[in-house]
Amino acid sequence: MGEVCRLGNASPETGGEGLWVRLRKPRRIMSPRPWKDRHPGMSLEQKPLPRAADPGGGAVVSEPGGTPATSWAIEAAGLSKRYGDRWAVEDITFSIRPGEVVGFLGPNGAGKTTTMRMLTGFLPPTEGSARIAGHDIFDASLAARRSVGYLPESPPLYPEMTVESYLRFVARIRDVPRTHRREAIDEALERCALVEVRAQVISSLSRGFRQRVGIAQAILAEPPVLVLDEPTVGLDPLQVREIRTLITGLAEGGAARRQTVVLSTHVLREVEALCQRVILIDRGRKALDAPIEELTAGGRSLEDVFAQVVSADASVAKGRVS
Amino acid sequence: MRHVGAIAGRELRSLFVSPVAYVVLTLWSVLAGFFFLSEVIQFGNQVEQLQELGAFDELRDWNLNDHLLMPFFGTMWIVLVFAIPGISMGLLAGEKANRTEELLLTSPLSIWEIVVGKYLAGASFVFVMTLIVAFYPALLFVYGDPEVGKTLAGILGLFLVSLSYVAVGLFASSLTRNYLVAFFVAFGILLTLMMLPFIAELGASGDTFGGGGAVASTLRWISTAGHFEQIAKGWIDSGDLFYFFAFPLAFLVLAKTAVESVRWR
Repeated sequence: MGEVCRLGNASPETGGEGLWVRLRKPRRIMSPRPWKDRHPGMSLEQKPLPRAADPGGGAVVSEPGGTPATSWAIEAAGLSKRYGDRWAVEDITFSIRPGEVVGFLGPNGAGKTTTMRMLTGFLPPTEGSARIAGHDIFDASLAARRSVGYLPESPPLYPEMTVESYLRFVARIRDVPRTHRREAIDEALERCALVEVRAQVISSLSRGFRQRVGIAQAILAEPPVLVLDEPTVGLDPLQVREIRTLITGLAEGGAARRQTVVLSTHVLREVEALCQRVILIDRGRKALDAPIEELTAGGRSLEDVFAQVVSADASVAKGRVS
Repeated sequence: MRHVGAIAGRELRSLFVSPVAYVVLTLWSVLAGFFFLSEVIQFGNQVEQLQELGAFDELRDWNLNDHLLMPFFGTMWIVLVFAIPGISMGLLAGEKANRTEELLLTSPLSIWEIVVGKYLAGASFVFVMTLIVAFYPALLFVYGDPEVGKTLAGILGLFLVSLSYVAVGLFASSLTRNYLVAFFVAFGILLTLMMLPFIAELGASGDTFGGGGAVASTLRWISTAGHFEQIAKGWIDSGDLFYFFAFPLAFLVLAKTAVESVRWR
């Protein structure tokens, strides 16, 4: 425990000794939970979550006495996921402030999707836990899921439905109050520029439109947190620009409904264009977590920074094997 | 359980815009019409034969319920074994194939709500199928006078069997993302269920299961056939009704477990 997953320039892990400490897999970062507790909805007792590391200079301080720090939009503590013998994600810890736009960056297969699936309640972490808007993903699973809108890698659409009937269905299962549904759907259609295709069958839509329906679905219930998995992949440049404008709009939507956005991508330019902060995930571990300005402060390009971190990591991995 | 309606309604609407529903309904209506007609013709022939033979005692016991409707319902029950997997195969497998599973499991829904919603969609579809079948006995009331109670009991029996089979199909559908696999798993389970009484007979005659004692009678109890026959005969017994409550419930529990298992991996 006590290990902070912060691999900034000044962090001890980048220097000799610290690095070797880190390479010993922290198999147990928290006390093991009984099997039952790992399954959402099966346990209702409140369990204190180990405090996530303070991201340093955090404006928000957790209240004394172990009460949950509800002012974080997302708190992940030691998130790990194991498939068989392979750790897809290992010991990822971070906290995200409300209104922040954070980019998960990393090569394909680095564990971005798995991390997002754990945050959204689709997969339970093997170890560690997370809170979404103060709700523990194990102990308050329904509340946590209600607080997060999710766009998976491929938008979860029913091809035979019309855009509007699809959104009506999502409004019902995501607990948008009956009286507010009409309004919420109209607003989501408008924000995602879908008004003219509202009566069209989803299977007849182009990829860009489908992606927008996927985003409309995620923002429909106005959750405080949005998790978007590769929102611009496979789109043409014009569509990419539209989606980016849309995402920027989400985070700027006025103090009352400003949303926290976590998006994953392997496009550096996207991170620069959209995000205030970057979390780099490489081979299932958090390799870097820093504000963009800090990274590019010395006139360096993001590309250089990432190439450096990823290759350093790779050589370390090689060293570990031999 | 307040999301059940949303899940069931969406599924039903999707079923009715997919070709599968119409193929199944068309085949079902055509087969029902065909088998009904053949039963009517056979019934007429048999009555004629009995008259020619002068077997008036037997003729007195000859009636529409036992000699026309019972065989008709029996045949439709066999058709169900083919038809139900066809409509149930997409119930949960479709969510995986569409990748919409992620939407459902990240929404504030309980897994029971998903499973029960899907089951209700299947049950509503099966209700439509039962109505189609009920049309033919209704014709008999125009030209003859079958017993109302027994006829209704037969229709009820067929409906209860369909409900059980939908639960089996739902379970099969929860195991895979592939429609064909879901179809054949359901079909296989239903076929085995149908053959259980024969297996039990084998045991009874050949001493395989200890002289057809407890094992054979258990097999017979698990199979739908006996319970269906009892109800179709008009013997509506609480034991049989309990069977048609417990059987689908068991498969719903299995389906729920299978859906949940996504989270164990």
